[in-house]
Amino acid sequence: MAKKTIETFRCMMCGHEYQEPVEEGEDREWMCPKCRSNSIRHIKKKGDKKKS
Amino acid sequence: MDVGRHPKIELLTYSEIEEVNGYVGNFEVKIRKKARYVDPDLCNACGDCFDECPVSVPDEFQMGLSSRKAIYMQYPQAVPGAYVLDMESCLGNNPIACGACAEVCEQEAIDYDDQDEIVTRKVGTVIAAIGLDVYDPTEMDEYGYTRFENVITSMEFERLISSGGPTGGHFMRPSDQERPKRIGFIQCVGSRNPKIGRPYCSNICCMNTVKDTLLLSDHYPDTENLVFYQDIRAFGKSFEDLFQRSKQKGTKYIRGLPGDIEEDPETNNLHVTVENTTAGKIERYELDMVVLSVGVVPSEELQRISSLFTLSKTADGFFMESHPKLRPVDAPTRGVYLAGFCEAPKDIKDSVCQAGAAASKAGALLNSGEITVEAITSVIDPDLCKRCGICASVCPYSAIMWSKGEVAKVIEAACAGCGNCGAACPFDAITMRHFTDAQIKAQIRSILSENAEDKVFVFACNWCSYAGGDTAGVARFQYPTTNRLVRTMCSARVSEEMVLEAFRCGAPVVLVSGCHFTDCHYINANRQTVKRMQKLWDKLEKAGVRPERLQLEWISAAEGQRFVETMNRMEELRQTVTPEEIEHSMQALKSKPKKKKKKKEPAKAEASSSE
Repeated sequence: MAKKTIETFRCMMCGHEYQEPVEEGEDREWMCPKCRSNSIRHIKKKGDKKKS
Repeated sequence: MDVGRHPKIELLTYSEIEEVNGYVGNFEVKIRKKARYVDPDLCNACGDCFDECPVSVPDEFQMGLSSRKAIYMQYPQAVPGAYVLDMESCLGNNPIACGACAEVCEQEAIDYDDQDEIVTRKVGTVIAAIGLDVYDPTEMDEYGYTRFENVITSMEFERLISSGGPTGGHFMRPSDQERPKRIGFIQCVGSRNPKIGRPYCSNICCMNTVKDTLLLSDHYPDTENLVFYQDIRAFGKSFEDLFQRSKQKGTKYIRGLPGDIEEDPETNNLHVTVENTTAGKIERYELDMVVLSVGVVPSEELQRISSLFTLSKTADGFFMESHPKLRPVDAPTRGVYLAGFCEAPKDIKDSVCQAGAAASKAGALLNSGEITVEAITSVIDPDLCKRCGICASVCPYSAIMWSKGEVAKVIEAACAGCGNCGAACPFDAITMRHFTDAQIKAQIRSILSENAEDKVFVFACNWCSYAGGDTAGVARFQYPTTNRLVRTMCSARVSEEMVLEAFRCGAPVVLVSGCHFTDCHYINANRQTVKRMQKLWDKLEKAGVRPERLQLEWISAAEGQRFVETMNRMEELRQTVTPEEIEHSMQALKSKPKKKKKKKEPAKAEASSSE
């Protein structure tokens, strides 16, 4: 079963910050739940880059 | 059967594709022919081995309702008409071999030492017709499929009522082998249900149930049939007639799906509770048998085949065609065609039509002997290529040949011209014909040469976003006139450098827009756009530029209204950008001259001269 993690996203249009479960290798469009913009920035936690 | 006998068709049964190389007209396919342990040329299907085999395992073809032997023929019409040995079940696989089948085989067709064989075939085109899987209803426990014997699936019903089935066509229910008199069919099990991630209609289940009710009415006129449904979708030729005939023959159609099924432990009869939405009341029925009209799901093999041929999938998990209206049998990879269920749920008639169309297209391509490609393919400059292979890793069509230490090479017949490689190349070694970096940058500079602060700069993909703008225009929607569009074939053509150049030229807001994920015209190239945007937002923030000034939107060709809404929002955003911010970004993002590594130059010169 694919690994799921809770990731943080920020909408670059309205500034809404939210968390969502993301499955490993998931391929879906990100959309702000508040304003429906696709300008979604994935906020990586510190150390994520090193791990990957 | 005809295919098996056709002199010009080589039928490789019991085989799997292992590897695919090449491109349209020149595919090289490695196929694993699994060991059958029975030579199909020698086997005359006498069945002596089957009679002698002491092993008994559930028969997959009969949906586990009866058993088969370890040596078996999947079904009577199987091609080739020869037995196959299931080595996982065979006692011959154990240290003490049984050998019963080999002893009775007069043809000496059985070979326990048979091995898988890898064969290679060169083909010009490929037709993917890998079929479907049936939805497994065990996860929908409210219908008691795993708890009650008399709750069966439509596939199991099919075997029970078939003369070639486990009961020889004597219809009986599993719990007591009595003929059921009251049968309920529940529709949309595993279809049109977003809660279980299957929002699509499976297309065939309604008519399959209508057919089953007619079959029951004809064979057993005393049975009482009930169908619980949301909608009956009888939209094919003569389908409405069949539906009406089913009703005339006494089948009762109840609009509403049961919420719960309970079993009477003494009689094994089933009590079904349903809200009849037509009558507006809760009803209870006592039934002898419940048939779950199960939907269809993409084949388990689909993911593997998709990776082998670089095909894309829809949100439902079926193969994506090149264009839903104009190229419904073409896969995005040139030379690959789709037929049947793997593309979308469809009935036999539609599958036959699509298969005919796919075969015709493949035949036409092979007969022409040549293909025409649009002159928008990528070209790699071998002198600038640093042999890193990034271009090959991002190409959605595997159209770039590269091996470690080698200069990458574009296969023009396979290149679709998305330009993703050009945007990804860090050494400017790739030129996309008619959409070169120089051409696009010239457009950027020209657009922003005057009153840049009044403009929203937009990169729009050819197929969706740009067409979305056209749709908005044709519909005469009103939107701000401040936007300036530059068309690229795909949003993935937009490199980091192009976005930064727009900011350097004074753009207050830059929008990159492309197709929705499931609509991407270049398989999945726009996923690279997302990656690039993430990097750019980080880069802008690091340079002290407000990252919100760079926006990303997916707009389809039909979404004129969304195009308008996006442009309105971009204009609102533009008005928040101050002249100081623009000035700062112009300075902060100034490109730094590239450092030249003087020591390495002679070696490079040597390498290029030797080429």
